[in-house]
Amino acid sequence: MSFNVIGKSVIRVDGLAKVTGKAVYPQDIYMDGMLYGKTLRSTVPHAYFTLDTSKAEKIEGVVRIFTAKDVPGHNAHGVLFKDHEVFCAQKVRRIGDPLAFVVATSEKIAQKAVEAIEVKYEELPAVFDPVEAMKDEIKVHDGTSNIIYHYKLRKGNIEEGFAKSHVVVENVYKTSMVDHAFLQPEAGIAYVEEDGTIVVCAATQYPHFDQLEIAEAMGVPAEKVKVINPAVGGAFGGREDITLQIHLAIAAVATGGPVKAVYSREESFVAHSKRHPEIIKIKTGADKEGKLLALEAEIIADTGAYASWAINVTRKSGIHVTGPYVIPNVKVDAYAVYTNNPFCGAMRGFGATQVPIATEQQMDMLAEKLGISPVEIRLKNAFTKGSETANGQILTESVPLITCIKKVADALEMA
Amino acid sequence: MKKISLTVNGKLYQVEVEEDMRLLDLLRDKLGFTGVKEGCSEGECGACSVIMDGKLVTSCLIMAFQAEGKEIITIEGLQKEDGTLHPIQQAFLEEGAVQCGFCTPAMVLAAKALLDKNPHPTDEEIKEGISGNLCRCTGYAKIVSSVKKAAEYLNKGGK
Ligand code: FES
Ligand code: FES
Repeated sequence: MSFNVIGKSVIRVDGLAKVTGKAVYPQDIYMDGMLYGKTLRSTVPHAYFTLDTSKAEKIEGVVRIFTAKDVPGHNAHGVLFKDHEVFCAQKVRRIGDPLAFVVATSEKIAQKAVEAIEVKYEELPAVFDPVEAMKDEIKVHDGTSNIIYHYKLRKGNIEEGFAKSHVVVENVYKTSMVDHAFLQPEAGIAYVEEDGTIVVCAATQYPHFDQLEIAEAMGVPAEKVKVINPAVGGAFGGREDITLQIHLAIAAVATGGPVKAVYSREESFVAHSKRHPEIIKIKTGADKEGKLLALEAEIIADTGAYASWAINVTRKSGIHVTGPYVIPNVKVDAYAVYTNNPFCGAMRGFGATQVPIATEQQMDMLAEKLGISPVEIRLKNAFTKGSETANGQILTESVPLITCIKKVADALEMA
Repeated sequence: MKKISLTVNGKLYQVEVEEDMRLLDLLRDKLGFTGVKEGCSEGECGACSVIMDGKLVTSCLIMAFQAEGKEIITIEGLQKEDGTLHPIQQAFLEEGAVQCGFCTPAMVLAAKALLDKNPHPTDEEIKEGISGNLCRCTGYAKIVSSVKKAAEYLNKGGK
C-alpha cells in the first residue's frame, strides 16, 4: 500500500506563510479605529485591595477603565475549577492577578493610565511553601482547603516488598517552576459584529473552551461568541488558560470595539501558567539481582494560586512516578496544593516531566549499590508487551523500551 | 516629529516619526511590515531582527530616526515578485525548520546576513550566526541544517 503522507516528508501547510512573514499572529492585526487595552495587575501576593481610578480616567485619550463590577456575567473562569476571577473583586492571591483593564486611544496612553490607577493593599499573610500550605493555616481561597486533590495509588503490599528488598534507597527531590517562554507574547483583538456576535481573535490552545468561558463571563449564549485562532507563536501548554480573551470581549462590547491588546514579555511571564514544581519523597527497593520489589512515593505539587490543570497534572505524576518499570508493590500519594505563588498548569509533559528526575536517579543509586550498570537495572525492570502498570493497565501494544535502551547503550558503548 | 527617509526592501519611504518611536514600530505599525516580530523588546530574542546596511540588527533597540538614510531588508523583501522563494526560505521549508514560525522571519534574515558574508560557513559559524535569535520550538538542529542547505543552493547559483 502506498500513502500520500505517511512515510513521506511533507511540507507543512502553514510553512510558506511563515517563511515569507505573511502568517498573521494576533499582534499583526490592525483594524480601523481600534482602541488599545492594558491590564493593571497586583504587585503583592495576598491582600485585600481597593482601587481609585479617578486620576487615570481624566487622562486624555482614556476611553474606559474596566474592573470587576463591569463583568456582565460570571466573574470567574478556569479549566477545571472556576477559581480565577476575570478581575479580582476584593482580594488578590498572587502577584500578577488582573485588577483592571484600561482602554485608550493609544497603547502609550493606556500604559500611562494603568500607572495612574491608585491601588491600596491591605496585605494578608501569604503562604509560599506547599508543605506549610497543607496545614491550611493560611487559606488561599476562602472556604476551601488548600489541598485540592489527592491521588492515591495502592498495589500489593509495600511493607512486604521493602522487607524482602536487598537494597533500599530513599530520598527527597525537588523540581523547579518553569515558564514556557513561547516566543509570541499573548495578544488579541476583539470586536462586535452587526448581529451582536462577539468576536475574539487570540492565539489559544483551547478555542472551543475559550468560547464557553467568554460566554459565561459575558452572560450570553455560546453561539453569540466567536473565537478566531490565528497563527499561534508557540504555546507548550501555556495558552490553555484564559488570559486576555475575556478582558477584550468586555471592552469590545462596552466601547463598540475593536479593542486590541499585546502583552509585553514581562506581563506574559505573570499572565500565564507555569510547570508545577514538585517535592517528591521516594523510597525504592530491589532484590539482589536488581529486580524492583517496592516503591513508595509522596508527591506534593505546588499549583500556586489557581488550580488550572493541577488535578490531571498531579494524577499523571502519581502514575508516572514508577517510571516505565514493573513493580509489584507500590504506594503513591500525590497532592495538589494551593499557595500564593504564580499559578501552575499545563506544560510539556503535564506532570510526567517532573517525576523521572526522582525515579531515574533512584534507579542509578540502586544500580550503584548493587554493583550493576545503570543499563542493566533498567533492562531488568522495563515494561514490555503484556506488562501491568502500577495503576492496573495492561500494555497490549508496542512497548519497544528495551530495544530503545539497548540501542542507546550501544551508541554510548556502555552495554 | 521628525521627517526621515529610508529604503525598505528597495523602496524609498519618507515618513514622519516621533522621537521615541522605535524602528520596530515604524516598520510594523506605520509601514505595515508585520513580518518583523516583537518577542522581548530588549534585544534578547532576536525576533525583531532586520538587515540594516548589510548588518543584522535588533529593531527594538534602534530608534526610528536612527534609520535616516539607511537601507533595510525585512522578510517581506526576500521573495521574488513572481513568487519564487529565496533559497534560504526554500531550505527552511524543506528541512522542516519552521514550527510556530514566530522566530522564522528573523532567523531567515540572520542566515542571510551570515551567508552574504560567508558563503561556506561551518556548523560552528552557523550556530554563531544565529546565536542572537531564540527559537523555542525547533531545538535549532533543523535550522542549522537549513542554513547549510541554503548555502549549497546559493553556491550553485540560485536554487
Ligand atoms: S524584540 Fe527585539 S530582540 Fe526581542
Ligand atoms: S519556530 Fe517557534 S520559536 Fe522558532
